[in-house]
Amino acid sequence: MDRVSRSRLLRVSLTTAAALLLSAAAAAPLTAQTAREIIDKVDRMMRGESSHGRMTVDITTEHWSRSLDMEVWSLGAEHSLVRVESPAREAGTATLFAGDEVWNYLPRVDRTIKVPPALMMGSWMGSHLTNDDIVKESRIVDDYDFEISFEGEVDGVEVYEFTMTPRPEAPVVWGRVEEQVRKHDLMPTWVRYYDDEGTLVRTMTFSDYKMMSGRLVPAVFHIIPADKPEEKTSMTYHELEFDIDLDESFFSLRTLRARR
Amino acid sequence: MASDAVWWKVAWRNLLRNRARTLITASGLAFGYLAAVVLVGLMDGMMAELIENGTRLMMGQVQVHSPEYRPERNMHHTVGGYDGVDLEALLARIESDPDVTAAAPRLYGGGLLSSGEETRAGLLFGIDVDREQRVGTLLSQLSEGRLPEAGQYEILVGLEMARQLGLEVGAEVVVVVGASDGSMGNDLFTLVGVFETGTPAIDANYAVLPLPDLQYLMAMDPGRVHEIALTVTRARDTPLIASSLAANLEGSDYAVEVTPWTELRPELAEMLGLMDAVNYFIAAIIFAMAIFGVANTMLIGTFERRREFAVVRALGTSPMGVGRTVVYEGVILGTISLIAGALITWPIVVWWHNSPPDLTSLIGGFSMVGSQWRPILRIEYSYDTPVICAVALFLTAVFAAVYPAWKATRVPPADALADR
Repeated sequence: MDRVSRSRLLRVSLTTAAALLLSAAAAAPLTAQTAREIIDKVDRMMRGESSHGRMTVDITTEHWSRSLDMEVWSLGAEHSLVRVESPAREAGTATLFAGDEVWNYLPRVDRTIKVPPALMMGSWMGSHLTNDDIVKESRIVDDYDFEISFEGEVDGVEVYEFTMTPRPEAPVVWGRVEEQVRKHDLMPTWVRYYDDEGTLVRTMTFSDYKMMSGRLVPAVFHIIPADKPEEKTSMTYHELEFDIDLDESFFSLRTLRARR
Repeated sequence: MASDAVWWKVAWRNLLRNRARTLITASGLAFGYLAAVVLVGLMDGMMAELIENGTRLMMGQVQVHSPEYRPERNMHHTVGGYDGVDLEALLARIESDPDVTAAAPRLYGGGLLSSGEETRAGLLFGIDVDREQRVGTLLSQLSEGRLPEAGQYEILVGLEMARQLGLEVGAEVVVVVGASDGSMGNDLFTLVGVFETGTPAIDANYAVLPLPDLQYLMAMDPGRVHEIALTVTRARDTPLIASSLAANLEGSDYAVEVTPWTELRPELAEMLGLMDAVNYFIAAIIFAMAIFGVANTMLIGTFERRREFAVVRALGTSPMGVGRTVVYEGVILGTISLIAGALITWPIVVWWHNSPPDLTSLIGGFSMVGSQWRPILRIEYSYDTPVICAVALFLTAVFAAVYPAWKATRVPPADALADR
C-alpha cells in the first residue's frame, strides 16, 4: 500500500518536473525538444489512436522457419488483437493483448486461454518476441527515463539517438534500450535492447518507409536476437489504416473467439 | 611339526576349561558380527531405497539421448536428429544388452494445460504406456482413474495439477504445446487418471500422455524421441553398464550419449559414496569395541595360567611357543564365533529382508537430496558385507590375542613358580 502511494507520488513529482522542463524548453528559442516528447511523438505516429492492418510475420530459427499472415487491430497502447489468416493449419488462432493480460484463442479446440504469468516470458506465436515484450512495449514511456545520447549525422542522415534507462521501480526486463530516430521525419531506424550487464540482447530495425493511409510508417520490422544472428523475425505491413472506428468493447474475449 | 599340533590341542583344551567364559566371549563376537552385518545391510537397504526412488520413479538408471540434448533440453535435439530413429530397432538393440532389464522411449514438451478459467504451465511427458511401466513406477502411482490409451486423446496429470486446474477424472482439458515447426499444437484431451508420487515438483507440473499423441501434437514423426530410459540389473554398477552399452551402440548412423544415474544425479551418487564410507566406519567401531572385550577375557585367562606357563617355560619351552598357544586360542575362538555368528545372522537377515518392519505408522517418510525415503527398515543382501565382516571378526579375535600372548611370553618362570 505504502509502496504504491510512494511510486504514485514519485510519478506525480516526475510529471511536475517534466512539465517544468517542458516549459523551460518552450521558452528556449531553439527547436529543442525533450527526448520524451520526441519518443512519445514517434510512438503516436507509429500507432495512431487506433489502427487496423494486415501483415506477414516471417520467422526464421535454427530449426524451422514459417510465415504467417495476420490481421491486426489496435486501440491506444493497451489494446491489440491479432488473428492468423494463413496457413490453414493455424488460421483463426488469435491473440488478445488487453492491459497486462494476454489471451489466446485456439480454433481447433474452440477455447480461449489466458497466458499464465509463468509463460509471459514465452515466445508469442514462435516469434522472437515474448508476450511480455508486447505487453510492456506500451509502457515504455512510463517505465524508462530518456535522454538524447547523440545528435548529428550518421551515414548522411541527421539523427537523434536516445538512451532509455529503466526507472528504479519499473518492472522491466531490459537494463537499457537505445533507439535511433531520423530527424527530418522522426522515423525510427533501429532499437537496441541490452540486459542488466549491458550486453546487447536483440536489435530491431525498421525499413521500407512508406505512406499508408496518409501516414509515413516503416512497413518492415526485423527483430534479430544478438546471440543467434542467423535467426530473425520479420513483420511486413501490407495494409494499415489509422484512427478507425474502434472502441474498447471490441477488444473482448467475444471478439477473440468470433470465428471468421 | 608335531609340537605345533600339541599347542593347538593346548589352546583348544584351554578354551574348554572355562566353557562359560568362552561361550560369553564367542557370543560377544557373534553378536558383534550380527550387528555389523545388519547395520551395514540396513544402510545398504536405505541406499537401495534412495537409488530406487531417485531413479525408479521417472529417471531410470541409464538414459540415452542425442549428444546435444543435455543440459539445455532443446526440443529439437531428438535422438538421431531431425529424422529421428527406427525406434523399435534401437530399443531392440539396447535391450539385447544382457545387463539392461527394460527400456522406454520418452518425449518431453513444454506447454499449457487449461480447464475452464484455469490455465497452468506444465511439462508434457510422452510415454509408451507398456514400456514405461517396466522402467518407472510413475504409472503405478495412480491415485484415481486408469492409464491412457494411445490415439484416444487421453491424459494423466499429477494430483496437485488436477487440484489447481479443478479437474476431475473424465473432465476435458485443453493441452497446448510448443510444436517443432514453431506453431502451437493444441487439442482437447480427456483426463483419465491422476497420479500422486509424493514429490511435489512432479505432482504439480507433469502431465502424462501416450507418446504418439504427443508426437502428433508437437508435429514430430513417430521416430522422434528425446530420451530412452533404461533399468539395469545392478543399480550400483550402473556406470560400468552404461559405458559398455555406449560402446555397444557405437557405430550406429547417429551418435548417442549414454548417461548413468550417477551422472544424472551426482549429488545422490556422492551421498551414497559417503554412506558407504560411514558403513565401514560403523563396522570398524563395532569390531574395535569387540577387540577390547576379547583381549580383556584372554588377558585374564593368561594371568590365571601364570604358573602353568612358568612350568612349561621351566621345562624348556621357548617364549614363542607359549605365546603361540594364546594366539591359537584366539584363532579357534574366532572360528567358533564366526560359525555361531553366521548361524544367527543368516536367518535373521533372510527374515528381515523378506518382511522389513514398516514404521510408516510411527514416522512419516522424508526426502533426502530429492529422493523420497519411506520409513521401511529393509535390509539388502550383499556379497561383500558378510565376507568383509567375517574377515574383520577373525582378525579381531586374533589381534585381541596378541597382547595377552605377548604378556604370556614375558612370564618369568622362577618368579611365577615362587608366587612372587
